Amino acid sequence: MFAVVFLMILTGYAVAPTLAGVALIFALVGALTGVFNLADLGFMPIRIFGVMSNTVLIALPLFILMGVTLERTNIANKLLRALSIIMARTPGGLAIAVVLVGALMAASTGIVGATVVTLGLLALPVMLKQNYQPSFATGTIAATGTLGQIIPPSIALVLLGDVLSNAYQQAQLSLGIFNPKTVSVEDLFVGSLLPGLALVALYATYIFARSRIDTAAAPPAKRSDEELDLGELLTSLAPPILLIFAVLGSILAGYATPTEAAGVGACGALLMAALQRALSIETLKEICRSTLTTTAMVFFILIGASVFSLVFRGYGGDELVSGWFAHIEHAPLLAVGIVMLVIFLLGFVLDFVEITYIVIPIVGPALLAMGIDPIWLGVLIAINLQTSFLTPPFGFALFYLRGVTPPTVETVAIYKGVAPFIVLQLLLIGILVMFPALATWLPSL
Amino acid sequence: MILSVVRFFERVNELLGKSVAVLALFMALLTLLIVVLRYAFDIGSIALQESVLYMHGALIMLGLAYALQTGSHVRVDIVYTRLQPNIKRLINLCGHAFFLIPFAVLLIVYSWDYVLSSWRVLESSPEVGGIPGIYLLKSLLPLSAILLILQSLCEIARLLIEPRQAID
Repeated sequence: MFAVVFLMILTGYAVAPTLAGVALIFALVGALTGVFNLADLGFMPIRIFGVMSNTVLIALPLFILMGVTLERTNIANKLLRALSIIMARTPGGLAIAVVLVGALMAASTGIVGATVVTLGLLALPVMLKQNYQPSFATGTIAATGTLGQIIPPSIALVLLGDVLSNAYQQAQLSLGIFNPKTVSVEDLFVGSLLPGLALVALYATYIFARSRIDTAAAPPAKRSDEELDLGELLTSLAPPILLIFAVLGSILAGYATPTEAAGVGACGALLMAALQRALSIETLKEICRSTLTTTAMVFFILIGASVFSLVFRGYGGDELVSGWFAHIEHAPLLAVGIVMLVIFLLGFVLDFVEITYIVIPIVGPALLAMGIDPIWLGVLIAINLQTSFLTPPFGFALFYLRGVTPPTVETVAIYKGVAPFIVLQLLLIGILVMFPALATWLPSL
Repeated sequence: MILSVVRFFERVNELLGKSVAVLALFMALLTLLIVVLRYAFDIGSIALQESVLYMHGALIMLGLAYALQTGSHVRVDIVYTRLQPNIKRLINLCGHAFFLIPFAVLLIVYSWDYVLSSWRVLESSPEVGGIPGIYLLKSLLPLSAILLILQSLCEIARLLIEPRQAID
């Protein structure tokens, strides 16, 4: 069933209906041959209704609205321009500016595609003009764009938190704990904060070291040809940074749920755009439309994947998986390692939404039943999913970036450029395995 | 003749899509209102919270067909971009015919009793003070499936009638 779905997805037909369609064909064939009970499909409307009425997931359209607003009204652009002017004169300064802005944008939009495309359109021409090595410049941008996965508030973490909390409850019920502990999206947000910042620090350190040692990679600007007065600098830097800190802060401090923070953040972004006179009725319509299509796209995948996993369970697939895990019950780290490898490999062909909703519901309960900390596991998975955005030839961040890079930059140069950043991400996974407290300490306070 | 029918249904989905898109704005504003009421005036309204949920439901379920029309549903295009236009057309035809439409039809079949039984008792919110309209929310399931079927029939018709333009 998995193999058929992969083949069909590779043909290039839309992923979501492929997931649902293949699953249903398997269900019908199974019913004819007597190995599948069609009555199981009766759960389909309940499952889909569950997806659409899930209150945690209401945060998604709101976060998307906020991100799209910042992107479409050029607030994100101005932020980047201001920072690059400040930092352009030191070697590697521009690249570090890209990482910092990217981290802020990642935090505010949480959409990898949006961040990569925006940075690619805005920063890449500037970097190339300053004689940055194309591979170094593109690698920095692609890697920075994927920070949106791990730095909260992130859409990936919202989805992951939703799936993990279900898996955690199942795991505890299976262990006979009928008063289960819970793990929430907030826990994941808090848990991934330090690892996310650690990754930003790793990136910046690498860029700093590389541009000192290999001066051809990131030469400083000769003289800044653009001067910005302090007032303009403040107006383009302060509002988005304030917004991000307000949204993030209210979630981290426990004042607001992610959904509330996202709603208020979206209103804040709209207000900012209106104050800067960047918000016409036409732009507003465009923002709504873009929010709708992105949201519908994500939810269709959730719906398709929920139908897929329903049929997979109907075939007894979940028992099969927990059967495999029963063999390595005494080595939870080995089990985590295997799952991480599978997710890493799946990342070559699938998007994070699909992986989250196909793999975690199936392996999650078995893993968590071994006593693994759900927050630690969630953060590990989030970093892993981020890595698979960058792994050539099928990383999604690479596709997005290729789409906005001038043809003079070779695709191979992009691949070469992201390689060191993938190593940094794997390094972070290693650090997390050795020091789980990096993820679990903050939520335990 | 067929083309004008196709255009009509596409127009329906387009208008519907653009209308529900505005709900995203209202969701954000209502959420702001909920937060302000709760923190500034200590008023919590379940009905208000549920109205955000209703908008959210309408946004996704009625937006699916519009997203199909605008080609927004992601595909893995590693192989796809290198294929001949004819093969691309075949892939889309088969996809609509064997995956999307059967899924939507089965969704209608299996959600029929589910929705009907909700209508029969005019199912209300499980929360006290909630909106008494769960049956409406559940009706979005078959409604969304009908819109998806209409839109994919339109796509199929276009793929067959105007083979040149239908593939970018």
